[in-house]
Amino acid sequence: MADVRADAPANGTAGEPARSELPDLAEQLRLVAWLRWRSLRNGLRNKNRRLDLLGMIVSGLFSSVLVIGIAVALFFGTKYIFDVHHEHYLGLLFLALLVWWQLFPILMAGFAPQFSFKSLLRFPLNFSTFYLVGLAYGLADAAAVAALIWMGAIVAGTLASQASAAPATLLVCILFATLNVTMERLLGAWLEKLLSKRRSREALFGIFILFMVSLQFLNPLLQKHGREVKAAIHAVLPYLWLLPSSFAGDFVARASAGQWSAGLLELLGLLVYVLLFNWLLWRRYTKLYAGEELSEGIAPAAKENRFASEDVDDTDSLGFLPPQVGAVFRKELRYLKRNSFLFFSLVIPPLMVFFFSMQIAGAHSGPFRKGISPDMFFPGMMAYLVLILIAPSYNSFAHESRGIQTYFMSPVRFREILLGKNLMTVVIVFVELVLCVILVGVRVGFPSAPVLLATLMAMIFSVVGQLTIANWSSISFPKKMDFGKMQGQRNSGMSVFLMFGVQLGLGGISALILFSGRWTGSPWLPAQLFTVLGAAAIGGYFASLDSLTQLAEAKKEVLIETLCR
Amino acid sequence: MPEIAIATEKLTRQFGELTAVDGVDLQVESGQFFGFLGPNGAGKSTTIKMLTGLLVPTAGRVSLLGIDFAKHPVEVKRQIGVVPEGMGLFERLTAPEYLEFVGRMYGLDKPTTRKRSEELLEFMRLADRSKTLIADYSHGMQKKLALAAAVIHGPRILFLDEPFEGVDALAAGALKELLGRMTDRGVTIFLTSHVLEIVERLCSHVAIIKRGQLVAQGSMEQLRAGVPSTEGQTLTLEDIFLSVVGEGAERPQVEELTWLT
Repeated sequence: MADVRADAPANGTAGEPARSELPDLAEQLRLVAWLRWRSLRNGLRNKNRRLDLLGMIVSGLFSSVLVIGIAVALFFGTKYIFDVHHEHYLGLLFLALLVWWQLFPILMAGFAPQFSFKSLLRFPLNFSTFYLVGLAYGLADAAAVAALIWMGAIVAGTLASQASAAPATLLVCILFATLNVTMERLLGAWLEKLLSKRRSREALFGIFILFMVSLQFLNPLLQKHGREVKAAIHAVLPYLWLLPSSFAGDFVARASAGQWSAGLLELLGLLVYVLLFNWLLWRRYTKLYAGEELSEGIAPAAKENRFASEDVDDTDSLGFLPPQVGAVFRKELRYLKRNSFLFFSLVIPPLMVFFFSMQIAGAHSGPFRKGISPDMFFPGMMAYLVLILIAPSYNSFAHESRGIQTYFMSPVRFREILLGKNLMTVVIVFVELVLCVILVGVRVGFPSAPVLLATLMAMIFSVVGQLTIANWSSISFPKKMDFGKMQGQRNSGMSVFLMFGVQLGLGGISALILFSGRWTGSPWLPAQLFTVLGAAAIGGYFASLDSLTQLAEAKKEVLIETLCR
Repeated sequence: MPEIAIATEKLTRQFGELTAVDGVDLQVESGQFFGFLGPNGAGKSTTIKMLTGLLVPTAGRVSLLGIDFAKHPVEVKRQIGVVPEGMGLFERLTAPEYLEFVGRMYGLDKPTTRKRSEELLEFMRLADRSKTLIADYSHGMQKKLALAAAVIHGPRILFLDEPFEGVDALAAGALKELLGRMTDRGVTIFLTSHVLEIVERLCSHVAIIKRGQLVAQGSMEQLRAGVPSTEGQTLTLEDIFLSVVGEGAERPQVEELTWLT
């Protein structure tokens, strides 16, 4: 054996741990930032990831427009508040920031990338660094960045109107940012236990979807009950003085009026909040730092019934289908029920029909005073329905993950798998169609018989035609997606491009054919044309299945590699 | 003459410039418990993927039970069961749902599928987790389920890629017994594992692949005979493996890590 001690490194002898100096706080923070940057950069080696980055940049640009737009509004809003001496409204601006900063990350947590800074605990970080890294992660959050930009706008607005109050605004913004990031991390830590369970995450995501959908009804409700809402807000305002946002706003208001002694009390109130939440977070992180796992509670192992009675039913309700097609259909149904994002998205079309029927169909006092006739409304709504419901079919293997291997290991041709999946889509479209037809009938009235028939035939043409192309897209441009997540859950760039192209093309053809009835004075002509096109689409669909089976065989490596990653 | 269960001729797979599997000729007789060994990156998984239809060979031919895989893939797949690398499970199903799905894909009727699923889940000690999603299973439980799915249709050849990885000792013992009984009934088992003791204990025949090429194939006795040893020494599979694979291989030089030792 070689004399290892002769070659011992300078900073430690062989057999003893090297006692090098730990990096200082700034160096440790720099290393963490470097880690995140390398993770992002290395991810871009993959071609699909580069396409994704393009998508991120585009969506980032859209988000930036929104953030900058609000920042401009806040600048002028703050300036106006100081100009007209309504400084008591400043608290509302800070309240809005508080709600945004605390609510947005919680709602996004269900589908945000999971990169836990706790994984850094294996390294010799001292507690201060650990605490600061935790806060830095909070400041790197999208909601925090937006809120910081908006605070900058508030400071700038103050400077533009009443420069003497700007230092007070700046001080308050720094304290308020510290409070918010601490509070967000604390709430995040409390919620982590909840969110670490997939079911809770998905439930939260469901609430988010329903919340977003219900926002669509806000405008009509405000139009109807605007005065009552305003009165209710005024009634609640006096009780908001205990919130940190009120302390922040009132301090700036008093500082601008030169009432420093009263203002100091407000500042003290805000400081108490900052210290309180930092103390609570410090306690929380101390436990975490000591190794206590606070996020992954182990559920009590409930004794399950070995086989529930439902499993003993040997009658096959899908017995009329080939067993393989039935198996895929049943599996798709189970996946649909367990995928909260897709499941809740099924609620959206009928809600949208309801919403649009309130806004633009029928005679009412809205912007469309005369309203849109059922003959126009019904085809439009059905086109929307197809647009929404067919989209997942363009990447129909997205949620298979490693299960895609089972398809290729099983003694089936891929046509059976495609048939099972497409059958599920057709059933969904049919159920939604029935619901929406009933809804349209009740809310707006049924269209004329020629338009009704033409629309239904157009749907067969469009849905079946699109399924053929969507199958090709699914095999050629697969992209893995995760259940219950939305961020980063996009189809591949090519399949999105294809989908929009096909839908625009088919939509244009369908619109032309629908109008051909009016132009030629033959009301039944569109229905006849769509019947022919629908039959051709069905023929084309079945003719394509064997070719698609061969394509799947040729592309199986790409499919397996992409979905099993 | 015994039936040949697995046969490959000049089986080759290239990934761009890299030849992962290079002209492999395999012969596995029916009822053999066959171990397929090799160091990391030697081409084991690539070979097993080509044998099970998960990867298309660049050149060469695969025939299972005398049937050409490329010409009759569905017929071949009907006869085989596979536990692939990654296990191929649908993680959002429960174990009974997944077994039902697999059974139906292999054309079993519903009562048979249900009965076999129950028996398999009992055997694998997964019956009391029948309502848990597969995503929530431990790695070892997923492995057991993948094995249950691979045998539900009664395959004549079973391909197992690292079947005991992550499986506890109790379950591993039961699985070994099950696999032994299957070979007694004429089922051919083709297994890859990095645990040489398991292969030595279970397998009657072994092949070793190195840098994409077969460097040894035969029964344990044939392999022992091919490796020099001192008189009276009984070579273990590890000795044989190191002897066959170690030649010319770049072994890590422990002496270089002086600051550790």
